[in-house]
Amino acid sequence: MLMRRALGWATPILSLVGLLAVWEWAVGARILRESFFPPPSGIWQQATMLYASGGLAGHVAATVARLVAAFLLAALPGVAVGLLTGLSATAREAFDPFVAFIYPIPSLLYLPLAALVLGPGELPAALVCAVTPFFVIALNTALGVRSIDRPTVEAAVHYGATGRRLFQKVLLPGALPYVLVGFRVGLGLTLIVLIAVEMVSAKQGLGALLWQSWEILRVRNMYVGLALIATLGVLVTSGFDAIARRLVPWHQGPARSTRRP
Amino acid sequence: MAGLIAGLAALGLWELLSRAGTLNPLYFPPPTVVGITLVARATGGDLAPHAAATLARLSLAFGAAALVGVPLGLAMGMIRPLRLVLDPYIAALYPLPKIALLPLLMILLGVGEQAFVLAGSLTALFQIILNTYGGVTQIDPVLLEVGHNYGARGLALFRRILLPAALPSILTGLRLGLGLALITTIAVEFTAAKSGLGHLVFRAWQTLAAAEMFAALAVVGVIGLAITRGLLCLQRRLLAWQQTYEWD
Repeated sequence: MLMRRALGWATPILSLVGLLAVWEWAVGARILRESFFPPPSGIWQQATMLYASGGLAGHVAATVARLVAAFLLAALPGVAVGLLTGLSATAREAFDPFVAFIYPIPSLLYLPLAALVLGPGELPAALVCAVTPFFVIALNTALGVRSIDRPTVEAAVHYGATGRRLFQKVLLPGALPYVLVGFRVGLGLTLIVLIAVEMVSAKQGLGALLWQSWEILRVRNMYVGLALIATLGVLVTSGFDAIARRLVPWHQGPARSTRRP
Repeated sequence: MAGLIAGLAALGLWELLSRAGTLNPLYFPPPTVVGITLVARATGGDLAPHAAATLARLSLAFGAAALVGVPLGLAMGMIRPLRLVLDPYIAALYPLPKIALLPLLMILLGVGEQAFVLAGSLTALFQIILNTYGGVTQIDPVLLEVGHNYGARGLALFRRILLPAALPSILTGLRLGLGLALITTIAVEFTAAKSGLGHLVFRAWQTLAAAEMFAALAVVGVIGLAITRGLLCLQRRLLAWQQTYEWD
């Protein structure tokens, strides 16, 4: 049993380290072409160099700032609309056409429209990145509200919970697991669109770094950018899971079910 | 029904505001103008070939991802050592937006369909692998033990118990994977490819052809809607015994 657990711990780490070692060796032995697959040590060197020359931190900061802004732009109205449409059938019917018309289109395609109407600047990019996650969060929140046991709500109303107290003590905790699923999926989608937006229209940010490296064929910079985006993705999702576990420890359901097994 | 009325009302309002000039018709041409452009472009223009290019890329990307992802996910679910070895790569690469791989793919494979399709395919692949092996590892052990005690081994165990039990999760993975592949394919077209609906929207942006842009958006919307709603319906019919309420 102990052995099995130790293997469960060690194998993934050995697997990663092993691949990096083989990669490093294969480049040295000229099995992999260095111009296409620079060795991990070379990528690391390039990263420290980019960091020292001052460019890298700015790219990371720009992407993180946009990610946070876009997520907030999606999450706050998303939860509000979700609660509303979860509670009222009329609100749901009014919201449905937007879901049918706007949600199915990959939101990167709204960038031209947003850029034309709002002009240059950060707002159109953040807004475009927020569209799809807004819908994901609103739909999940509404689902969460409707998942709340009816007698629970009725009992709360019966005992005098109305307005804000009903919201704080019953609706929000009840819907929270679903809201968190919406947040988690929404964050992932925000990151996808953000990287694409940065690739086409930004000077700063990890997506912009990738695109600029492509234009001048700096393969090492590209790997640095990819490694940082992957790290950002892992940090966001695992950090989010940790928060979700603290917030809804009682819930084993959907907040967990889309987590990686 | 109410939704249809609300939708039509919104279109009517848009038409009025655009005609009156409250909405800048340069950016928001009236829906009737968009409709006329859509019909003209679809019958005589290049809308149909661009839509075909997008659909071809999407089906290639999704087909390859499903062919690789489902068997690999099943194998990872059933073989623990394989899971332990591959898990760190899945964990590291799943949250990475695959559109970020496009520049590298274009260097490795050249600027062409291989790189474009592969970027979309990788997006779907990780989602499919993850949901498939999640579906296998989350099977109630009691089910497997019962099957075992009744003599199900090997292929019978796989076909009668493992596969049906994992199927809901596999189908969810395929559905989410297809949706994500559409997002990446459109992004690839928007950034790098010279054909497809994503490129059409990009070109309309550069030439300020708003009616053409909305026409392309409408076609993408229909494709997207068919994917999200259509597959959800299909999933519900295939898994009639299961109640699925998933929106993500």
